[in-house]
Amino acid sequence: MSTYTTAGAQQQQQQQSSMAHDASSSTDERARFVEYSCGDCDAPVSLKRGEPIRCRSCGHRVLYKKRTHRMVQFEAR
Amino acid sequence: MAPTATSTKWSTDFDTARRQRLFRAPPKDNTAYPSLAAAVDPHINSFNAIFGPGGQLDLGVKDIGIKTFLDGDPYATEILPRNRLQIRIQDIFLDKPALPPSNKHVLGDRRILPAECRERHCTYRGKLKARIEYRINNGDWIEHVRELGNAPIMLSSNRCHLEKMTPDELVKAKEESEELGGYFIVNGIEKLIRMLLVNRRNYPMAIKRGAFTNRGPGYTPFGIVIRSVRPDQTSQTNALHYLNDGNVNLRFSWRKAEYLVPVMMVLNALVETNDREVFEGIVGAAGSKGLEEKQFVTDRVELLLRTYKVYGLHSKAKTRAYLGEKFRVILQVPDDMSDEDAGTEFLKRIVLPHLGSPNVTEKEDADKFRMLLFMIRKLYSLVEGECAVDNPDTVQNQEVLLGGQLYGMILKEKLDEWLSSIRLPLQEWLRKHDWEPFTSQQFQNEFLGKILRRTNENIGQALEYFLSTGNLVSSTGLDLSQTAGFTVVAEKINFFRFISHFRMVHRGAFFAQLKTTAVRKLLPESWGFLDPVHTPDGGPCGLLNHLAHVCKISTHTVDVSAIPKLVAELGVSSNSSALLDQSVVVQLDGRVLGFCTPKQARVISDTLRYWKVEGTHGVPLELEIGYVPNSNGGQYPGVYMFSQQARFYRPVKYLPLGKLDYVGPFEQPFMAIACTDPEIESGYSTHVEYDPTNILSIVANQTPFSDFNQSPRNMYQCQMGKQTMGTPGTALRYRTDNKAYRIQSGQTPIVRPPLYNEYGLDNFPQGTNAVVAVISYTAYDLDDAMIINKSAHERGFGHGTIYKTKICDLEEGTRRNRSRNVTRLFGFAEGGLVKGQWRKTIDDDGFPRVGAELRNGDVLAAWTTVVLDPATGEYKNNDGVTNFFKYKEDEVAFIEEVRILGSETGNDPCQKISVKLRIPRSPVIGDKFSSRHGQKGVASQKWPAVDMPFSESGIQPDVIINPHAFPSRMTIGMFVESLAGKAGALHGIAQDSTPFRFDENNTAVDYFGHQLMKAGYAYHGSEPMYSGITGQELAADIYIGCVYYQRLRHMVNDKYQVRTTGPINQLTGQPIKGRKKGGGIRVGEMERDALLAHGTAFLLQDRLMNCSDYCKAAVCRACGSFLSTQPTVAEFDRKKRGSNVVRCRRCAVRAEAAADRSQVWADARGDRYVGGEDVAVVAVPGVLRYLDVELASMGVRLKFNVEP
Ligand SMILES: [Zn+2]
Repeated sequence: MSTYTTAGAQQQQQQQSSMAHDASSSTDERARFVEYSCGDCDAPVSLKRGEPIRCRSCGHRVLYKKRTHRMVQFEAR
Repeated sequence: MAPTATSTKWSTDFDTARRQRLFRAPPKDNTAYPSLAAAVDPHINSFNAIFGPGGQLDLGVKDIGIKTFLDGDPYATEILPRNRLQIRIQDIFLDKPALPPSNKHVLGDRRILPAECRERHCTYRGKLKARIEYRINNGDWIEHVRELGNAPIMLSSNRCHLEKMTPDELVKAKEESEELGGYFIVNGIEKLIRMLLVNRRNYPMAIKRGAFTNRGPGYTPFGIVIRSVRPDQTSQTNALHYLNDGNVNLRFSWRKAEYLVPVMMVLNALVETNDREVFEGIVGAAGSKGLEEKQFVTDRVELLLRTYKVYGLHSKAKTRAYLGEKFRVILQVPDDMSDEDAGTEFLKRIVLPHLGSPNVTEKEDADKFRMLLFMIRKLYSLVEGECAVDNPDTVQNQEVLLGGQLYGMILKEKLDEWLSSIRLPLQEWLRKHDWEPFTSQQFQNEFLGKILRRTNENIGQALEYFLSTGNLVSSTGLDLSQTAGFTVVAEKINFFRFISHFRMVHRGAFFAQLKTTAVRKLLPESWGFLDPVHTPDGGPCGLLNHLAHVCKISTHTVDVSAIPKLVAELGVSSNSSALLDQSVVVQLDGRVLGFCTPKQARVISDTLRYWKVEGTHGVPLELEIGYVPNSNGGQYPGVYMFSQQARFYRPVKYLPLGKLDYVGPFEQPFMAIACTDPEIESGYSTHVEYDPTNILSIVANQTPFSDFNQSPRNMYQCQMGKQTMGTPGTALRYRTDNKAYRIQSGQTPIVRPPLYNEYGLDNFPQGTNAVVAVISYTAYDLDDAMIINKSAHERGFGHGTIYKTKICDLEEGTRRNRSRNVTRLFGFAEGGLVKGQWRKTIDDDGFPRVGAELRNGDVLAAWTTVVLDPATGEYKNNDGVTNFFKYKEDEVAFIEEVRILGSETGNDPCQKISVKLRIPRSPVIGDKFSSRHGQKGVASQKWPAVDMPFSESGIQPDVIINPHAFPSRMTIGMFVESLAGKAGALHGIAQDSTPFRFDENNTAVDYFGHQLMKAGYAYHGSEPMYSGITGQELAADIYIGCVYYQRLRHMVNDKYQVRTTGPINQLTGQPIKGRKKGGGIRVGEMERDALLAHGTAFLLQDRLMNCSDYCKAAVCRACGSFLSTQPTVAEFDRKKRGSNVVRCRRCAVRAEAAADRSQVWADARGDRYVGGEDVAVVAVPGVLRYLDVELASMGVRLKFNVEP
């Protein structure tokens, strides 16, 4: 039962941080989870810095970085 | 919906809907393009032949045999009986690529697919294992399995997961729907072993080579060379040398050293023989006709027999013992083997090993004996001038060394070396354990764990090294003439380039350095096997050829067990007669079957051919029956049959049966194969080509109407087709090529041969159909420049993209990854300052943002040094410093994909990322384009559409080229393509552009002209046009039509080089060279001469001085020296800085104490001088001073007269 709660807490924390993301970027926030997608099964994979690289659901060893949520703006030429 | 089998029949048509269906739902049964898959067959089949029972390696392991080691103290005084340790390899296994057992995170599918290896930049390899057996003395064999590392695996081979996958499954495995395989993935790079031309196996070639005389005194240029190939595909070259006095010596190489043995000794060792048998074997049976005419040969054979007498070896056993004694050291036979057995070993390993290996029976020794006799016979015949030399540079006398065969040969040799290498740790163990005998319990306990483990068992790594570098590290040299350049990168610039790699055969790196050009010559023998036009111009011209598109390479032996009996029934006897017109030889795979009359030989060859095509009497279709007829001093006659692998062969129609026959390059020169049906001569022609275009390679077949072009232009097109920006593949998403080119405006050509569809080239389009006017219009189309319609450019004509993959590897350079300790991690330093500029391109995690724009100097990824915090088990950064990977190129790029790469075990944090960048490359002035006829040109202007000329129907050209591009190049094919393309576009049909379809009575111009007329256009393809500027009709009709244009990958953006100032060479002060480093372009002597001739003195001054090593130097007018001048130093300046005042030390004298203060100057040491004031500052090239210094160091003084 205890494992369940910690997992839930993690998720909550992650949601909070992604909401707070655009406002500012403080130091402690940088250690938070970033979501990638698995190169094989396309499942979302949340990783913290220093964690082993593998998909949590299929064990694949290549993860793709997702397209940035930020607005991307280029100068028209 | 009933599943119908995917059709594999294709025509010239566009088949748009069908292709669309194939794309949307890749077939679940078979590929729609079997011809494409067949193109790489030689590679895959040769790899498939390595493993498994009866495979190349199985035979190789048998050839390695049993290794014997002896114990016992070599320093012991008394000789004790020694124990024997014998070891042999029983089996070799290569597993399919899978995750290592240390990965505990994957439960289901543990396969490693090739796509993952490309993405993770690792090697596609499987575990290599050997089952070995060893015994002590005559005990029981003890079995054991050893792991030998990971060996790279060829894609689509029988050790690859992709084997037999349907297109549907392939797409799901992240491959192309038509993935061909045939290559390896080494460190994420696709590599293939290229095919090499080597001498035809088991055929004694008559060679006359000046270098033979260097073997020693008496040696002549005459020799017979045979490349004898063992069943495991390793080869041993034997050569017979003719000496001045008529003697014959056998030469061979063993472990890169050459040895010579009298051939008589080998003959005597092979079988129990006598002089009479040898004499009759060489000259001809006693009493046969014409014996008295062969005075030349009889004299020499008599001498041959007489000179051998000095050795005094009278029996087979004694001769073998003699040979064994001489060669036992180089053969590395065990110490307890008798000399006679060593001699047997010598004969088995070195003398004609294609006849009987690994175990030689007495009958096979007799075969070797007869073959040697035949070779001596041919040698005398050559010396006598009875037969001509064989040309080793024609395909007739060549075969192909395939990638898989080379791989297997290297693997065999590494296994052999590994077994032999047990000797060292064994000796060491014995020494340490006080010469404990092998029979002791301690030895048996420690043999596997302590002794065998000390050997280098990582054979997989050796193979990986071979594939990644192409270097052959070998103790034997594998009977090859080169040691490097065996592998090439299978570049996927476009599909032509990619597929050509697999059809390419190289003559060998050795021949590239040769001064003579004989090897590069296009010879008629290569008809139908090697493409005459598809070879590069320049360095590798003629050495790097491509296979004709229907040419096959055999990869397995065919069953020829029935042949000897059939031949005997057809009248072949073992006795030969003295004259060649009386009896000729019949051979099968380098074994003498017997002799028959020339007439019979013809009958034999004709009969066997009939049976072979018919498929009866056990004569296989792939058998090559080389009938060499008797001639006046031509090739040595006989019937030579070949059944083994590595042969070229190609399909033709056999006329008597109207069925498919395969012919090889050895038999072809003596056959009557008609090229087209009308050329068949009744009673003479036996075969006819299925299609004359069969002689062309895949790429050469795509040149439309190539028979209308001057042939060099077709060569250029073959080159340029491979440099085109095309579509490398559809699985681009899963590729991580260093650099990939992609055209955005790919179209299917209107004008193409049916082969275009058969090879599925619409999956990889590489050009655009353009409306081309041949007109001199703007003056910007001089000298092969072309003008692009600006509106066409804006519609996307020729728009391309470059994808570059950058790898950011934290472990690179740190050779500490042995310890597996993580010392660096991606991300920003905790508590450190993070600049806004960095965050533009990098995300929180230190990885680049997908979609961000990168400019020169922007950061690509951030990392910090870390240490493991044992308390929390987390990595922490302590120094607060963030380091970066930077983007260092000048061009703007966009981040397309970011891959975070894990390790095989799935336990390690990220140490490597791979970033794919996208660089848009819209066509700019200076980019190179070409039609499919070797007509290349650079874009010189984007001309506004309103100013372009227009036709009566209002059509404007996309491209304008100058008419002067045609007269000297004679690319009539381009005119025809223009016509055909125009008619095709108007009628909405695809035009067949296969060469050799039109003739004088039925011309292409007429055919397409009528189509144009039907569409309401002028018959000749030219139209009245109006100037876009004045609106007036142009005086001449303009030739305008549709031509398929390719954009070549040479773009100005990669080439332009500009500098005013920049990095300079430290020593000379002159600009450095190299575009990448921001260097300059050399203005050399020729350029200098041109500028001088034009009187452009200021330009010269600017180039050679001001923009180069301009420097100001002080020179003493009085003594004319640069080197003696020095700046003065104010006497009381504590920092000893130099002043602006420069004096000549040489002309100055020591100041006396009483000297006038105003005249005195001091140097940095504080010494005081007077005089040396006559110093001038002049501008000189920096190297001039350097030269002065260099000369001064040799005691040469330069004196300059300074005026005024
Ligand atoms: Zn997954």
